[in-house]
Amino acid sequence: MSTNSTSEVMIELDELTKTFPGQSVPAVDKLSLTIQKGEIVVFVGPSGCGKTTSMELINRLIEPTSGRIILEGEDVTDAQVDSLRRRIGYVIQETGLFPHRTIAQNIATVPGMIGWKKGRMDERVDELLGLIGMEPSQYRDRFPKELSGGQRQRVGVARAMAADPPVMLMDEPFGAIDPITRERLQNEFLRLQAQIQKTVVFVTHDIDEAIKMGDKIVVLKEQSHIAQFASPEEILSSPADDYVSDFIGQGASLKRLNLTRIRDIEMATDTPTGTAHEELSTLRQRLAESPWSTMMILDDQHRPMRWVGGRDLNRANAGEDIAKLGLPATATVEPQATLSDALNELITSNGGVAIVVDGSGVFQGVVDIESILTAVRTMREENSQFYLAQKEISEAID
Amino acid sequence: MAVAPAPVVETESKQSQTRKKLALFGTPIFIITVLLATYLWISSLELDSIEMRVLNKEVLTESLMEHLYLTGISTALVILIAIPLGILVTRPSLKRATPFVLGLANAGQAIPSFGLLTIVVIWFGIGVQGVIFGLVAYSTLPILRNTMIGIQQVDKSLIKAARGMGMSTRQVLARVEMPLAVPVMLAGIRTALIINVGTATLATFFGAGGLGFVIFNGIQLNRDPVLVTGVVMVSALALSVDYLAGVIGRLASPRGL
Repeated sequence: MSTNSTSEVMIELDELTKTFPGQSVPAVDKLSLTIQKGEIVVFVGPSGCGKTTSMELINRLIEPTSGRIILEGEDVTDAQVDSLRRRIGYVIQETGLFPHRTIAQNIATVPGMIGWKKGRMDERVDELLGLIGMEPSQYRDRFPKELSGGQRQRVGVARAMAADPPVMLMDEPFGAIDPITRERLQNEFLRLQAQIQKTVVFVTHDIDEAIKMGDKIVVLKEQSHIAQFASPEEILSSPADDYVSDFIGQGASLKRLNLTRIRDIEMATDTPTGTAHEELSTLRQRLAESPWSTMMILDDQHRPMRWVGGRDLNRANAGEDIAKLGLPATATVEPQATLSDALNELITSNGGVAIVVDGSGVFQGVVDIESILTAVRTMREENSQFYLAQKEISEAID
Repeated sequence: MAVAPAPVVETESKQSQTRKKLALFGTPIFIITVLLATYLWISSLELDSIEMRVLNKEVLTESLMEHLYLTGISTALVILIAIPLGILVTRPSLKRATPFVLGLANAGQAIPSFGLLTIVVIWFGIGVQGVIFGLVAYSTLPILRNTMIGIQQVDKSLIKAARGMGMSTRQVLARVEMPLAVPVMLAGIRTALIINVGTATLATFFGAGGLGFVIFNGIQLNRDPVLVTGVVMVSALALSVDYLAGVIGRLASPRGL
């Protein structure tokens, strides 16, 4: 990393150490790390390895015993702590939303402290609610207890972004949420991050989450010693030592399916589609002209509804409701979903394909097992070429 | 943009609404009925001169006012003393003083009220002032303890989030801990009020009047109408104070809890 220009460095930790009073061994021992602007760096490791402590050293919720913290080139180890924290967004697992304040008041917490005018704050609140997919007029004046867990966590993220801090710390932000909602929130956050380009330090104990979310992953062992600091690809394909490969666990190759997203691979868009309002003859003709044996019936908002085949169309001709024929269109994924998500859906699907929809559920295309296999094959070839090339370079240097 | 799922809004069942209405209007109706019944009963009696001496407008009003005064002043003083003290002992620097302060307040309430009042009055002298000090000593505990518990029960993750966003400890106290402790603190004040209404009945023994005057007159003179009037008035007052404190508590608690 030392080759990068220093202007791109956002956070630098220099031999950061924390020894809690009454303990002889430091909880965090000489942690040195450079985090580039705009990347998501995931701290991952087993419980008790000091990953949360390491994160809390950055905004000095825990004061370091020794070492330096450099933020945007400025040494903030001894800076005024409250104003430092207002420059760093902070999201915790329990969301930490204030139950007695409305959603708008919660989001405006930091802007309020740093003296924004009312109008600017209101505008920002509405903008952020829009960004996290919650209608401002509907949610602004609600209280946290009136929201679902997933919505609360979204508001927690919005609150951390309110004053547009360059850095965000996220401590297992999706840890206490059911798997389905968690996956959706992860995808949403990645999509958001593509727009806002924050520098994010993300703590999790879940290696799958780390692989999915991280631009870089820091695998930590006890006392926050770095076992490996690398991209997810590299950690999966060449773990530094047994500790890292043990931590990745079984199925490292399967986990690599988490690295590629639906939007990166080719999906089939030639699936014949139609709506229930169309003439049956038109539908039948369209199906006959395509190489597919079934077609997708969409609703008025162009969201997938049913898979129907030629025989179903005949039955519809006999007077049955087309919206009840064929098989329900299950197994939908969003473009941000990973191949692993898609494969998972695909296995349980009706048509042997995963249906790709955009954020509002509009049909985009389908992904079948062939396209996933193709992607995996390409990934393998690229990787082996890359490491062969690297090996040649290092041998040449030797 | 993902479509946000329909929000969960708690809809209260009709049953719980009826129950709430009953609680809101039931108590005042009950109090008024009992007072009215007592008034009608007393009016229907032929009172003798001894009874007339107590059961007249002037004496009853004066006793009631004295009672209200004792209760009001002592509760106000307790609030002024116990809430700041309760906040202070939850601060990290003073946490060590917690057992000492709680022990003192506990002792105040553990001693029988008559005994405590006697001790304090002997100390401060017979009269209104002494009785007020006694009432303060006796009712400090509920407010002090509830202030402490109210602040301590605030979810630690909220404090962590607040600190992590850059609130100073004072801002955390004012914006997070105190508002969230309000319902518990109000419950403490309500308890203290009830204790004071009850204990102020003893004030008559120390020359500070109050509704206890009517009751003990009824006992001493062996006149049931006087005794019943005194008892009904004290009970009605206690119930009204409790009811009002409950209503205020509900209105003053932050929304969203």
